[in-house]
Amino acid sequence: MLFEVRGMSKRFGAITALADVSFHVRAGEVLGLIGPNGAGKSTLFECLAGVLPPDSGRVTGAAERWQMLFYMPDGIAPWPAQTVEWALDFTIGFFGGRAELRQKVIGQLDLGGLLHQKMGTLSKGQRKRALLGIGLLTPQPALLIDEPFDGLDLRQAREVQTALRWHAVRGRTLFLSIHQISDAARLCDRFVLLSSGRVCGEGTAAELAAMAAARDSSKSLENLEEVFLALT
Amino acid sequence: MRSRRAVIWLLEKEWRELVSARAFWVLLVAMGPLVGVSFISAVHTYAEVSGLNGTAAGVGEALSPLIGVWAPTFSACELAAMFLLPFVAIRMVGGDRQSGALRLELQQAISPLTRVAAKGLIVLAGWGLAMLIPLSAVLLWKLNGGTVYLPEIAAIVAGHVLNAGLTIALAAAMASLTEHPSTAAILTLTFTTGTWIVDFFAAVRGGWWERAAAYTPAAMVAEFQHGLVRLDAVLATLALIMTGLGVAAIWMRLGVAVGRRGWESATMCAIGATLVMACTLSSASRDLSENRGNSFSRADEQALRAIQTPLRIEAHLAQEDPRRADLEHHALQKLRRVMPLVEIQYVAASSIGLFEQSAARYGEIWYELGGRKEMSRVTTEEGVLETIYTVAGVKPGAENREEVFRGHPMATEPRFSAFIFYLLWPALLVGSKWVLERGRSQ
Repeated sequence: MLFEVRGMSKRFGAITALADVSFHVRAGEVLGLIGPNGAGKSTLFECLAGVLPPDSGRVTGAAERWQMLFYMPDGIAPWPAQTVEWALDFTIGFFGGRAELRQKVIGQLDLGGLLHQKMGTLSKGQRKRALLGIGLLTPQPALLIDEPFDGLDLRQAREVQTALRWHAVRGRTLFLSIHQISDAARLCDRFVLLSSGRVCGEGTAAELAAMAAARDSSKSLENLEEVFLALT
Repeated sequence: MRSRRAVIWLLEKEWRELVSARAFWVLLVAMGPLVGVSFISAVHTYAEVSGLNGTAAGVGEALSPLIGVWAPTFSACELAAMFLLPFVAIRMVGGDRQSGALRLELQQAISPLTRVAAKGLIVLAGWGLAMLIPLSAVLLWKLNGGTVYLPEIAAIVAGHVLNAGLTIALAAAMASLTEHPSTAAILTLTFTTGTWIVDFFAAVRGGWWERAAAYTPAAMVAEFQHGLVRLDAVLATLALIMTGLGVAAIWMRLGVAVGRRGWESATMCAIGATLVMACTLSSASRDLSENRGNSFSRADEQALRAIQTPLRIEAHLAQEDPRRADLEHHALQKLRRVMPLVEIQYVAASSIGLFEQSAARYGEIWYELGGRKEMSRVTTEEGVLETIYTVAGVKPGAENREEVFRGHPMATEPRFSAFIFYLLWPALLVGSKWVLERGRSQ
């Protein structure tokens, strides 16, 4: 186990964003955080990364949080006046990132043609690829990515999946927040199902299917989408 | 080692962000004409006065380049520091929050104070670049045969750097505290222009307001512009800068609960206020002006320092009475610097004093030392000193005529000023920005 989350809760006024969320993350796995829009996925990631204060709960692991995990938020446009090339080099220099992977990541995410473009001038999909590149170059063993396929076309989404799998095979733990369950089913080893701020299930697709079947045997559970609907 | 490397990268990043910020270039470009207008009109007036040969009594002080040229020229920096620099600092601190870069950078375990200090340092370095424009006026003056007394210039530059530091720290705190840069800008300007209210109340009410007004940015800069460096003002400004940066660092930690950040900020402000109060206890100061405009003559200073008995002065003058301002500026401010044992008290029933003119004791200034009392109505430097010597029974030393500042008249106007400040500087800056942009996109 790389780290464990226990009893994490977060409220925004009267709205409960997270309610007593607990689960664990294993080293080297691709873990999918699945839930509809507004389920609390981004809030959970922000609390895990320490950029949003939770009301309660904690993350425990073998090392300090900043040594264990790096969080790449969705919808940000950091350093808009700087080039993609600089952003990648800054990641390696500032965060002590993986310099040996620089060329590989540029190739995997097709960033070669974007290197001299400013971050602020990139399209949504291009920016997503640049942000994924930054995330993959960070040194922490676990990488949390909020909506890794948002803004990507089908071909790019497949290429990114291949790239993520390549890094996972080499020991990188990936924790991905995905609202498209079909994307998650193709890539992830295990899943955490989140709905209205609560964890509805945790495990592999088979384990979740068994859990759903135990709850209601009358429903047909042919895929992860059916399992998700049954458990939430 | 790793964190040192990270700090170097952080500094490099902040520098890149600064030179890519339009607000910074607007500040630089605006400085040219701002300084130019002040310098050209000051030199023009100086040349006109110099045309009278500058030999008449009292003209010598007016022909000090410090008062005649540098104070008005560098006042452009005060304007820029108050109305332009906050936007640069807010852009540097608030920009990261707006773009989401802060959420990434917070995941590197560098202390928040280091982050804020790096930003502050880089903005201050940018301010240093902006200061090259008024400093080029000094060079121009020198090349045209003018006299430059470096300690005066150093005092002015130090004052404006401190003032800029204060603005940067305040703007950083506001940008870190608020969600949106426009809110931060409004709060910063409210605070900086709000210090004018302190000056206004000081002029009307006196007392604690007057004491507080001595530490407003405008008062601090004005003293530096007259060549006076007061240790208490320097230390109090540094304490305020540290407090501002501290508050900015506290609110930069997005992952800490808002309530806790609030308590920490309140504690930080309390510590800052205590430090400022402690700083005001210092009375050391240095007059760096060539004409010693903030000091009595050396002979008088020596005679006054020899008086060891506490001196009490009771002036029956209202707060807004011009004679009180005369008394303060011409004599008492200088007296406080050489006689720490002087106690000054103003007595008046109203702030304007208009209806007190016929009162029995109004206008009297009483001097009491070692049981002896003297009364005078004179508010000039010579009159005050004479009364003090009488009450103290001291004979002043002879004035060294060689020490008397004779002024530096200069009846010519520096050539090419308009070309340099209105055209060359802005063109140079616009060209530099264009070259930088081109270099970065290639």
